[in-house]
Amino acid sequence: MKTMSGVAPTRMELLRLKKRVALARKGHELLKEKMDALVMEFVEILRKIGRTKRRAFELLSVAHRSLSKCLASMGTVETEQASRETRKELQVDLSTRFVMGVSVPTVEIKSVERDPLGRGYSVHTTSSLLDEASRDFERAFEVLVQLAELEEAARAVGRELEKTKRRVNALEYILIPRLEETIKFIVLRLDEMERENFVRMKRIKLMLERRAEEAGG
Amino acid sequence: MEHEVAVIGERETVIGFSLAGVKYAHIHSDRSETLSKLSEFLSSERMGVIMITYRVREELGEEFEKLVAGKDPIPVVLSIPDRTGYVPPVDELMRMVERTVGAKIVIKEEET
Repeated sequence: MKTMSGVAPTRMELLRLKKRVALARKGHELLKEKMDALVMEFVEILRKIGRTKRRAFELLSVAHRSLSKCLASMGTVETEQASRETRKELQVDLSTRFVMGVSVPTVEIKSVERDPLGRGYSVHTTSSLLDEASRDFERAFEVLVQLAELEEAARAVGRELEKTKRRVNALEYILIPRLEETIKFIVLRLDEMERENFVRMKRIKLMLERRAEEAGG
Repeated sequence: MEHEVAVIGERETVIGFSLAGVKYAHIHSDRSETLSKLSEFLSSERMGVIMITYRVREELGEEFEKLVAGKDPIPVVLSIPDRTGYVPPVDELMRMVERTVGAKIVIKEEET
């Protein structure tokens, strides 16, 4: 592992780096905890998605079956005409909430299933199969909206998870080892300087002793 | 806040959801036309949920992904099967799981 460049091997720097490592470790720990929590949340959402998806797609295929019955008996043009006449009042209530500091949308709908008379197409000229098809699509939509909310939540949590993971890895494999390596370098350098100094002292002492001997002798 | 719903797909899907009361619908026939309609839906303030069939989505390909990647959290884009019940074998979310959770693939237990 590379050491950081441009670091003066001094005691001051050593203290500063030690503090930084401690901080980085703390941050790493916290982020890791966040990541664990996010993974749990993610898995929970995925499980819900699996369940909702199956139900939603089942309902949708039921709805398509009803519709094709209706198309067959009433005719495509008439059905399409009826679909145009239908009152388009479907609305969803969207807001955002926070899960582990991630903003995820929540979608709410009022009951979408309507009375055949409330749909807006002419009841006299259409078949009851049209009512069934409409009702099945309304039912399918109710579950599909839940699915939309869950999928969006999963995507948001997934993105956050990715980001957190990258930061955890950066701390764990780059920043902390690099700081530690630099600390090691400084410690070695300081030790080396101490030894040099020791030898120098010894040598000076020897020289002084020799000089004193010469002067005395 | 109240938001509108839109659907993009083949004729049957659009008829079905129109019957359920979805206000904005687009029957897919031409790539560039659908793309411009989609970006119109995406940029609309009032739009809450956009449903698009997997098949149309695949036909739009990369340009669709690019449009959706750059959007705000709202509107929510949901992929649905079309009349034939077509769902692609590779799930986009599962791909994300593999990427984020690592090599681990989450196997969900079947609850009945």
